[in-house]
Amino acid sequence: MTSVLTRGRTVLLSTVSSDAHTWNLVYLQLLLEEHGHHVVNLGPCVPDEHLLTVARAVRPDAIVISSVNGHGHLDGARLIRTLRDDADLAATPAVIGGKLGIDGEDDDRHVQALLDAGFDAVVTEGTPASALAEFLAATPPPRAVDAGAPARAA
Amino acid sequence: MTAGAGVDLAAHVAAAATRGELVVQPRMGMSDPRRMAEGLRAVAAVPAATVGTITLDSYTRVSDHAAARAAVRRGAPLNGFPLVAHGAEVTARVVRDVAGTIPVQVRHGSAAPGDIFATMVRAGLATSEGGPVSYCLPYGRVPLAESVRAWARATCTLAEDGRSAGVRPHLETFGGCLLGQLCPPSLLVAVSVLEGLFFVQHGVDSVSLSYAQQTSEGQDVEALTALRRLAARLLPPRVDRHLVLYTYMGVYPQTAEGARRLLAGSVDVAVRGGAERLIVKTVAEAHRIPTVGENVEALTAAAARARQARRSVRGPSGDEVDASEVLAETTALVEAVLELSDDVGTALVRAFAAGLLDVPFCLHQDNAGATQGAIDADGRLYWADSGRLPLPGGARTRAGRITSRRLVTMLSHAARRFDGPALGGPVPAVPPGPVAAAHEGPLARIALVGTGPRGVAVLERLAARLTERPPAWPVEILALDAVEVGCGRIWRTDQPEYLLMNTPAGEVTMFSGPPDDGPPRAGAGPSLGEWWQAVDPAHGDPNGYAPRALYGRYLRQVFDTVLAGLPAPVRVRPVRTRVRSLTRSPAGAWRLESPELGGVDVDRVVLTTGHASPEPDGEHARLAAFAARRPGARYVRADSAADMALDDLPAGSVVGVLGLGLSFYDVMAALTVGRGGRFEAAGDGLRYEPSGREPLLVAGSRSGVPVPARGRNQKPPDHVYVPLLFTRSRMRTARRRGPLDFRRDVEPWLLAEMDLVHHGTALRRLYGKQAVTLFHERVTETVDPTDPRAAVVEQARRLGGPALPALDLPARARPFAGRRFGSPEAYHRVVADHVRRDLAEAEEGNVDGPVKAALDTLRDVRAVLRVAVDHGGLTAASHREFLASFVPVASALSAGPPRVRLHQVLALLDAGVLRLLGPGSVFTGDDRTGRWRGDAAQVSGAAVLLDAFVDARIPTPDVRRDPAPLTRSLLRAGVWSSFTNASAGGRLRTGGVHVTGAPYHPVRSDGAPEQDLYVLGIPTEHTRWFTQVGSGRPGRWGDFTGDADAVAEHLMEFLAQRVTPAPAQEVVA
Repeated sequence: MTSVLTRGRTVLLSTVSSDAHTWNLVYLQLLLEEHGHHVVNLGPCVPDEHLLTVARAVRPDAIVISSVNGHGHLDGARLIRTLRDDADLAATPAVIGGKLGIDGEDDDRHVQALLDAGFDAVVTEGTPASALAEFLAATPPPRAVDAGAPARAA
Repeated sequence: MTAGAGVDLAAHVAAAATRGELVVQPRMGMSDPRRMAEGLRAVAAVPAATVGTITLDSYTRVSDHAAARAAVRRGAPLNGFPLVAHGAEVTARVVRDVAGTIPVQVRHGSAAPGDIFATMVRAGLATSEGGPVSYCLPYGRVPLAESVRAWARATCTLAEDGRSAGVRPHLETFGGCLLGQLCPPSLLVAVSVLEGLFFVQHGVDSVSLSYAQQTSEGQDVEALTALRRLAARLLPPRVDRHLVLYTYMGVYPQTAEGARRLLAGSVDVAVRGGAERLIVKTVAEAHRIPTVGENVEALTAAAARARQARRSVRGPSGDEVDASEVLAETTALVEAVLELSDDVGTALVRAFAAGLLDVPFCLHQDNAGATQGAIDADGRLYWADSGRLPLPGGARTRAGRITSRRLVTMLSHAARRFDGPALGGPVPAVPPGPVAAAHEGPLARIALVGTGPRGVAVLERLAARLTERPPAWPVEILALDAVEVGCGRIWRTDQPEYLLMNTPAGEVTMFSGPPDDGPPRAGAGPSLGEWWQAVDPAHGDPNGYAPRALYGRYLRQVFDTVLAGLPAPVRVRPVRTRVRSLTRSPAGAWRLESPELGGVDVDRVVLTTGHASPEPDGEHARLAAFAARRPGARYVRADSAADMALDDLPAGSVVGVLGLGLSFYDVMAALTVGRGGRFEAAGDGLRYEPSGREPLLVAGSRSGVPVPARGRNQKPPDHVYVPLLFTRSRMRTARRRGPLDFRRDVEPWLLAEMDLVHHGTALRRLYGKQAVTLFHERVTETVDPTDPRAAVVEQARRLGGPALPALDLPARARPFAGRRFGSPEAYHRVVADHVRRDLAEAEEGNVDGPVKAALDTLRDVRAVLRVAVDHGGLTAASHREFLASFVPVASALSAGPPRVRLHQVLALLDAGVLRLLGPGSVFTGDDRTGRWRGDAAQVSGAAVLLDAFVDARIPTPDVRRDPAPLTRSLLRAGVWSSFTNASAGGRLRTGGVHVTGAPYHPVRSDGAPEQDLYVLGIPTEHTRWFTQVGSGRPGRWGDFTGDADAVAEHLMEFLAQRVTPAPAQEVVA
C-alpha cells in the first residue's frame, strides 16, 4: 500500500458470498468517501476466502459488510467466525448491515446471533445512515502508514 | 421441425407484429415442475400474444447443479426452475402442454451457460437470453474473458445442436439492461448490438435486441430508434431480428397504482419506439416474487394498453423523434469496439480493458469504473462522467460527481415519480349522493385567474385527469376573468367579424385529444376547423382564417363542455371579475380579492392573465404626452385591435399608423371593411370598393414594408416537422456546457435547418422524394459542427440542386435597407412590386415553395429554440442581442398574415385609401401645427401632416410596466419578480415573470419558488420565449398543451394529498 492517510479510515467494503446485489455497495462507497474514508470495495458475491486474502493484504481499519438478499444472517455469521479465527484480523472492527433476514422476521434474534459470532455492530433496515459514520468514528484512529511500510504492528 | 419442437419465437413475434399486436412476456420460474407447467399454461391462456418464460434459479445460474439437486430432493423451494437438475425429460414434460401454442424462452443469468443450453436442446428448447457481457458484469466475479469464452462455446453448440434437433436457436441480448439503472442509453444500445453481433458470429441467425426502460419516455423512444437503426446497419440481412423492451428494471414503485402506471408507461414506450415484444413487471415487483395470477394480470393489462396505444399514441413515435444524439454516441462506441478485433468477443474484452466500454457503477473487476450516469431535470439520463468512452464531442467532465444522497435520489427516481400521486393516499370510489352536503364547503379550492386559451387549456387537462381519477371530496374551481369567462379579452365574442385569427382553423384546437366515438369532453373533441364546419357548413373551412370572435365562441364551447363533464364532486364557479390582489392569508392559503368576490381563500392559483395593457414607455410615452397637450392630435395607443379606439376617427381624416405587422392588418381591416368598404375579386387579386367613410391611412415602420404573407398552407393540421440538424437534443447537449451564445451556438444550426428545407424543397421538385432522403443522409454524415450550413449547401450542389441565393433573414425583413427613393410615387411602385413578388412566393405554398417552406421552418422549430433560450439558456449579453436583433426579424418573417391581407394592401394602395410612408418611418408631434407629422428617412418628399396617430405595434410584455393592480400587488409582495438573466457575468433585466421549469411556479424576489402558484403565457415572456401562442394544435402535443398538462398534473398531486379529510384515512395502496 502506498497511500498515506492521516484522518479517514481505510475501510474494506464487501458483501457476503451469496449476494449479487451491488447498488448498496456503490451507495456505501460514496457515503464513506464523503466522510473522508478510503474504501476498498470488493463487489458482489465475495467468497469468504477472497475477503480474508484482501483483508490480510490491505489491513483495513474497519470492515463493513452489507447484504440485502436475506441470507446475511447465515453467510455473515460464518464469515465473521472465519475472520475472528485469523490472528491478523481478530481485532479489526467489523460491522454488518442491510436486510439480513427474509421478510424482516426474527431480526432481533439475527442481531444477537451476529454480535455473538463476532461483529462489533449490526445495523438493520431502517437505521439511519449516520449510524455507520458514528461506528467508524468510534473505531481506533488510523495508524500512520508510510509508503512501503510493513504491516501494522500487533 | 421435430415433434418436440415448439412454436418459433421469431415467427410468433413477426406474426403478432403483422397483426399490430405487441407480444407480452413475464419473468416466471418455480422449482416444482408441476407448478412451472401450470404457470406456462396460465400464460398461454392469456387472450393476447404471449411468450412463456422459464426463469432459472440462482444455483443453476452459478452452475452449482449439485446444490440444486439437493434442494429438489429435499423439496426446498428455489427462486427459479433448476433446469439442469431436473434434466431434459422433466423439462420437456413441463413445456409439453403449451409447446403448440406459445414459444417458451429460458432466462437464466449465467456467465457459463453450456450445461443449460445442452439440457434445453435435449428438451426441445433453443430460445434463451443473455450475453457474454450482460450476464457477467452485473453479477458475480467471473472474469469477462472467461465469460466470453464460455458464451462463445455455448452459443456455437446451441446453434449446431439446435439445428440438428430441428429447432431454430434464438438468443436475446441482455445488454440493453446491464445494471438496470443509471446507465445512459447509448451504452445500453451499444452493448445490446455488440452482443447481437457476437451471437451472429457464433452461428445464431435469429436474435432479439433488448433495451430496458429508463427514466424518460422520450429518451427511451429515441434509444429504441437508435437500436433499430444500428441493428439494421450492422446485422447481416439474413439475420432475423426484433426489439424487446423490458419494463423498468430498477427500484420499483411501492404502490400497486404506481406499479401499474409504470407498466403502462413502458407499453407506451414499446408502441412508440416500435419494440415488438415487452417483458412485463407486476405490482408485486417491489415486494416479492410475483404469483402466476399477478403475472397474468400484468400481461393482460399490458396487452390491453398496447391495443389502446396503437389507436392513439401519446407523444411522437420512433420515426418522429430526434434520435441523433443517442445514435451518434452509440455508433461511436460500437465502431470503436469493432476496430479492436475482427472477433467480437475479443473486441469486447479489449474494449472493457481500455475503458472504451465502461458500465457506470459496475463493481466488476474487469470494468474500469471511471464513468457515472445521472438523471437531469427533465428525467433524462446523461453522462455525468464519461471516463474514457469514445463519445463524439469529447469527454464529459467530472464536474458533477455523484454524492451518496443524490445516488439514492436517482435510484428511486422512477419509484417516486410513479408512486408520487398514489402515496398521497387512496382514491376511494366516489360516494353516492350529494357529496357537498356532508362537508362544510370544499376541501380544496383552485383559482384560475384569466380564462383565455391558457386558462382553458389548464382546465381542460385538469378535467381530463379528474375524470380518470375523480376526487371523493368536494373541489371547487374558481374560473375568473375580467372580461369574458371562458375565452378572455383577446378572443372575446363581441368583437367585429373582420378581425381574423392568424392561424388556419384546422391547426387550432383546445381539446387535448381528437374527437372519438363518444361525446366531446375533456381529452377528446373537435378542432376549431372541425367545429366551424359543423356549426357553419357554408363558411367553415379548416384552411381558412376564422374570425377571432368565432374562436371566442369555440373557446366558450370548450369551456362549457369541460364543465359539463366534470365528476360530481368538482364544481366550477365562473365569475366575471378583475382580481385586484393575491396575498398569503394568515392560515397559509392564498387570499384573492376582487370587487365581486370580496376576499376568498384558495389553495392553489393558476395565473394566466394574458396580455397586459402596459404603461407607455420611451417613445410611446413621448407620443402620449404630446397628444395629451394637443386636443387636435388624436392618439390611439397600442392594444388588441378590438380594444383600440378606432371607431371615432373621422372619415377623410389623415391617420398615421406605426407598425406594419399583424396589428397593422387588424387596424387596416377595422378602418376599411369596418367602415363598410368591400373587397371584390378583380383579375388575380382584389379591388376595393370604398364606402366613403374611411380615413386616409398613412402607414410606416422601420422596414417600410408590410410583413410578408405566410405561404399557402399545404401542411395537414397534425403536421409534425422533425428537425434533422437544429434538434432539441443538440441544444440540450450544448446547454449542459453552460450558457449559450446565440450567434455562435444556436443560430448556425437554425439557419442550417432552414437551408436544409430551402434546398431540400428545390431538390424534391426536381428529382423527387428519394433525392431528399439521400440529401438528408449525406448532410447528416458530412455536417461539420463548426459550420453546419456548409454541408447543406455543398451536398445540395453535389446532388444537382439549383444554385439558390442564401437565405438572408435580415435582408428579407428589411429589403430596402440602405436604399433611397426619389419620391413617394417611386417608392409606391417598388413596394407594390415587392408585395406582388411575396404573394407569388406565398402562392407556391409552405411545402412546395422553397422560400416559404424554409421560412415556415421558423414556426416549426420554435420548441427547439425554447430549449436553447428559455430559463437563462443564453448568456446575458447574447440574450439581449437575441431579443433586439433576432426576435423582430424572425417574427416579421414567420408570423405572417394570410395572403388575402396582402392582396388587400395592394387593393387599398390602388384605391388611394392606404399610403406606405417608406423605410425609416418616423412619427413625431409637430409643435408648430399641433398635429402629427409622419416622414420616411429614405424617401424624399414623404413628409405628411396627420390628424391622428395609431400605434399598431404589439407592446413588448414587461410586468414592471403592467399597471394592473394584481400585478402590482404580486410584485410588491415579492411573489412575482422580473427575471434577470445574470449568466456569464452579464446582467439583463427582462421584465418577464421569473418562473421555474414545469410546472412553472413563480420564483419570489428572494429566490424561492411559490409552489402553490403557477404562471403560464404572456407574463412569463422573456423568461421563456414566444408565449403568445393562443391555441393547441391537433395531433401530437406541443408546448402549449404540455405546459397546461404539467400544471394540471401538479394540481392532481396536490388534490391526491389534500382529498383525505381529517382524521387521516388508512392508506390501502
